[in-house]
Amino acid sequence: MKGIGKRVTIGFLSIVALLSVSGMISLFELSNLSYDTDSILSASHRDMEVAKDMLRSAHDHSRATLDVAIFGEAEGREACRKAIAEIDLHIASVREGAPTALQGCLDTLSLYSAELNRLTEQYGAAEGMVMTSDSLQVAKRQMSGKEWYNGVYEKACDKFGEQVKRYITLSHGQMAPRAAQLSKNAYRSVAPVLISLLVMIALVLMLYYFVYIFGVAPAKRINKALSDTLAYKVPYKVKAELIDEFKELSDNIEMLTNISKSNKKEEENAI
Amino acid sequence: MRFSVILRYVGAVMLIVAAFMAISAVISAVSHDTGFYPLLLSSLLTLVLGGFPLLFVPRTDNITTKEGFVIVVGSWVLSCVVGMFPYLIWGGEFTIVNAWFESVSGFTTTGASILTNIEALPQGLLFWRSATCWIGGAGVVMFALLILPSLGTNKMALSGIELSSLAKDNYRYRTQMIVRILLVVYVGLTLITTLLLKVSGMRWFDAVNHAMSACATGGFSTKNASVGYFNSPLIEAILVVAMFLSSVHFGLIYSTFTRRGNNLFRSEVVRTYVCIIVVATLFVAASLFFTDIYTSPLESLRQSLFQVVSLITTTGFATADTNLWTPFAIVVLIIVSIICGCAGSTAGGVKVDRALLYGKVLKARLRGQQHPNAIIRVRLDGILQEDRHLQAVTLFITTYFVLILAGTLSSTLFGMDLLTAFTSSVAFIGNVGPGFGEAGSYDNYAAIPAVLKLQGTVLMLMGRLEIFGFIQFLFIKMWR
Repeated sequence: MKGIGKRVTIGFLSIVALLSVSGMISLFELSNLSYDTDSILSASHRDMEVAKDMLRSAHDHSRATLDVAIFGEAEGREACRKAIAEIDLHIASVREGAPTALQGCLDTLSLYSAELNRLTEQYGAAEGMVMTSDSLQVAKRQMSGKEWYNGVYEKACDKFGEQVKRYITLSHGQMAPRAAQLSKNAYRSVAPVLISLLVMIALVLMLYYFVYIFGVAPAKRINKALSDTLAYKVPYKVKAELIDEFKELSDNIEMLTNISKSNKKEEENAI
Repeated sequence: MRFSVILRYVGAVMLIVAAFMAISAVISAVSHDTGFYPLLLSSLLTLVLGGFPLLFVPRTDNITTKEGFVIVVGSWVLSCVVGMFPYLIWGGEFTIVNAWFESVSGFTTTGASILTNIEALPQGLLFWRSATCWIGGAGVVMFALLILPSLGTNKMALSGIELSSLAKDNYRYRTQMIVRILLVVYVGLTLITTLLLKVSGMRWFDAVNHAMSACATGGFSTKNASVGYFNSPLIEAILVVAMFLSSVHFGLIYSTFTRRGNNLFRSEVVRTYVCIIVVATLFVAASLFFTDIYTSPLESLRQSLFQVVSLITTTGFATADTNLWTPFAIVVLIIVSIICGCAGSTAGGVKVDRALLYGKVLKARLRGQQHPNAIIRVRLDGILQEDRHLQAVTLFITTYFVLILAGTLSSTLFGMDLLTAFTSSVAFIGNVGPGFGEAGSYDNYAAIPAVLKLQGTVLMLMGRLEIFGFIQFLFIKMWR
């Protein structure tokens, strides 16, 4: 390649191109990082909300069951079914996209929810919702319902509650490797820029050096040679190996000095 | 010294490094792994870094020996610097120190690693690791000489530094031939080894990586259990032959195949080298068999041969945890990893040529004491050795041991146990790779302090550049 101008232009363009590429890669990595952060935060938020909803539904179910078992309210059975349906809906909403480790926990939650449903349905079928005004009958039904509630239902309900807590713990445990990945991605988005920056510094230093030795230094040498010729009438001679435009410039100056010399001689001869 | 000329030739070497990074990036792209962007960006950065001086500095037909020397050392150091870019950008286990260690270990063909889980690395980066070994093995500058026809008469100045003085003095090949021989033998050996490994049951990817690593006497594997993963006597046999051939003078291999007078079978150095391998293998095998580490004599011989060849050639592949072997076997393995391969090969270490000359000098000295008036001359492969040459050999060996001791001393200062400190220093300066103790054949250097990793890289570079080459580079006078 010839021409210092071309060389410098290509040098600058390559620096710009490299900066653009490293910038694009960093942007790509940063968008990945942002996406990962969002997905981790939203997953965490969703898990918490679902757990809260499941506990609320379980609480509703417990209250409805209490109404059925103690007070013999027939509407309570419908509320029970509604609460169980809500729980199943919550479980189904988080099952999709859940990691394998959480799938097992969700399966157990479904089982426990089915168990709660089975217990209340069985209790309702066995006892029947006998509406009576006989105080002795009411007291007897209340006694057996209380025993069933405390002895059978509450145990199943506790197991469900524990499983919901386990789900929260597990879902948070699943976040640790993702957070580690996040930290790795953060490093990956910064590293290219830092390394590119170091290379750019090296390139700029090299560019300065090359512009100096192939641009500034030859210009100084030519200037010095020309000054010596003008001041001391010594022949024009540059003490350096010149290339590109500077060689052309030097050759042209030499030609000019030669023409000037020959003109002078011609003038002297004419006189 | 013309700094711009040095930059031009170092830049040319960087272009070769960038090309290998680009190949690795393609491998990553094909295998859809996470190494693509780090390798692509590193390749671009190295390309611009190397292309810049070529853009500005015009071709020069002659370079001085001093310039040639600085080009060699500079290329090596800068290759190590740019070689760490893909590791750094990829992240994982690679901190700055770890990436520098892995890169220097590759380019100096040491094969020591800081990776605790090699198989977790993307395929592109695994290939890049092996490529650093291969480039290093060929000699970064030798490689540049083939690619760059512009060098012309500059070959002498560069190859004079690259090959050890012994190799040059023993075998008087024309300098232009050295580059050709080195590359024909090196590339040919790598291709043949790749094909044989593939035929013996390896995947193409593993075959290429192991062939590159074996022919460079590097020792980087694609598996955590190194060659032991394949558990195949055939693969081990192929690698033993490849490692052995890569550790003898390449000129001799060339002349053997072209049926010239000076060949492998006539060389005194090669004969001694084979003798050392046979004796060490038999000793280690006997030790393993009689202490019931291996119940079968054949198995003892198989394991012993592989480990002895792996260490003496400075490759560092492993098929067994040598830490579990007898103290006698360990001492024998330490001795062979100090002697190492022949001059003019990709092997590091003291080299058999020097060890043989040292023995001859010792013998001559003893004879001289018995016959004070006798004029005793030392010859190697029939060539009379000058006194200054013999002095250089003894000085090299003395300095080699002083450096091992210094390395051991500073390693113990940072809490390393004596066995690990000594053997890792031997492994670093000899470009062997694995040592013993915590740096055993199935271990890695991940746990050692960062300062010792840096010390290790200095020893690796010193070993690769024949100690004095590296020391001379640091002298200010050199730069005037």
